[in-house]
Amino acid sequence: MKDPYEVLGVSRNASESEIKSAYRELAKKYHPDNYTDSPLADLAEEKMKEVNEAYDFIMQEKKNGGSSVGGGAYNNAYNASSQYANVRMMIQQNRLDEAEQILDSVTGDHSAEWYFLRGMCYYRRGWAQQAVQHFQRACTMEPNNMEYRQALNNMSRQQSYGFGGYNTTGMNQQSQCGVCDVCAGLMCMDCLCRGCC
Amino acid sequence: MFGYVKIRKSELLVREYEAYKSAYCGLCRQLGKDYSVLTRLILSYDCTFYAIFLMSLRRSCPGFERKRCRFNPLKKCSFCQCRDDAMRKAAALSVILAYHKLDDNIRDGSFFKRVGLKIVRPFFSRQLKKARKRYPELCDIAERMMKAQAVAEETDGCGLDMAADPTAAMLSDVLALEAKNETESRIYRQIGYGLGRFIYLIDAADDYCDDIKSGNFNPFETTRENKIEVMNNNLSQALASVFDAYNLLELVDFKGIIDNIILLGLPSVQAEIIEKVKVKYEGSV
Repeated sequence: MKDPYEVLGVSRNASESEIKSAYRELAKKYHPDNYTDSPLADLAEEKMKEVNEAYDFIMQEKKNGGSSVGGGAYNNAYNASSQYANVRMMIQQNRLDEAEQILDSVTGDHSAEWYFLRGMCYYRRGWAQQAVQHFQRACTMEPNNMEYRQALNNMSRQQSYGFGGYNTTGMNQQSQCGVCDVCAGLMCMDCLCRGCC
Repeated sequence: MFGYVKIRKSELLVREYEAYKSAYCGLCRQLGKDYSVLTRLILSYDCTFYAIFLMSLRRSCPGFERKRCRFNPLKKCSFCQCRDDAMRKAAALSVILAYHKLDDNIRDGSFFKRVGLKIVRPFFSRQLKKARKRYPELCDIAERMMKAQAVAEETDGCGLDMAADPTAAMLSDVLALEAKNETESRIYRQIGYGLGRFIYLIDAADDYCDDIKSGNFNPFETTRENKIEVMNNNLSQALASVFDAYNLLELVDFKGIIDNIILLGLPSVQAEIIEKVKVKYEGSV
């Protein structure tokens, strides 16, 4: 196991609140919601587990055997009653070529699930435009299916990445010091100086 | 396809900006050393990002040194030192990409432009040979991409995913060369793919109005819906996937700079280009 303090990025004598905030920061970063449908979801999950373990370890050490705080175990289990169970498994294992081969060999009218899975293959390859179109098709065919809806929502979340919206690293939280602040500061100083001389 | 991977200067710390500049100067110097004085002119922000990213992954920048600049001998600049071949590799990539860009322009350009570019081509192909000797794998990847691009553009109903795939796959392969294991490879591939896709699409968006006028291929031509929205959505999505993968890395060196580029630099470039295209496009309709 890695050094738990290193995992959380805190020093050995960090206070409990520091540890908690470091944990919260990391948990937010690796949260499975950020990696819905992503081909790297398993790696994020591993990181999350590492962070959870480190946090539990440190907390327990601090409390000397106190209650441990459970980390969230997340799994996005696909529904089992699926026509394409094998394809789903292949997609989960990133065996996209095989999955696509099976899907493309299906003839006739395609089901909503077919569109969803084909879209998922595109998505995992990074072909976002096709993926959106396939997810939309799946959603119009079965508007009540949460799984399809979720995939489409995930795409629209990614499509609104941009200015300020997608910042989880906290790097942009320095105090702002604009031109006005500088001017105001100078004016104040000027007033004070006048008082002296 | 150059010049889109930029920093947002106003948000960098002064020392980070200086580090960035010295990497930029270091790459320029490396281009001069490995190739020729003239190749220094192909220095780009994109390859600087590549150099910084490599040095950050390998932790191979021990510090900086102050030396005189060849182009402005009165000024002393700081140059980034490099313990391994990260700079050399970035210089090779600059040369390779510049050659293919030139090739591409010869194909697409007007008559006079073509003649002008053909005159300088022998010079670049000589440099390319030098680069091939040092990094045959980079050359192969780039050549594969050029071929795939030509095929994709010939294909009927080539959507923007298919058109962007060669460039995206190229960067994905280039970054995957650095991977030491399967996990790293997957992360680097996703970063490379997203970044390549972003670069291709933003270049296509930037050239959209000119391409329509001159009848050149443009991937956004085939989309029927609101074009500006399609551009913006796809660019954002590509960045989101870069960011997701990037978050899984634990970088130390140059982290502030790379964060700045991915979180602020690229989105501001996107906003800038989209705004420009909007004005131009709405003016023409």
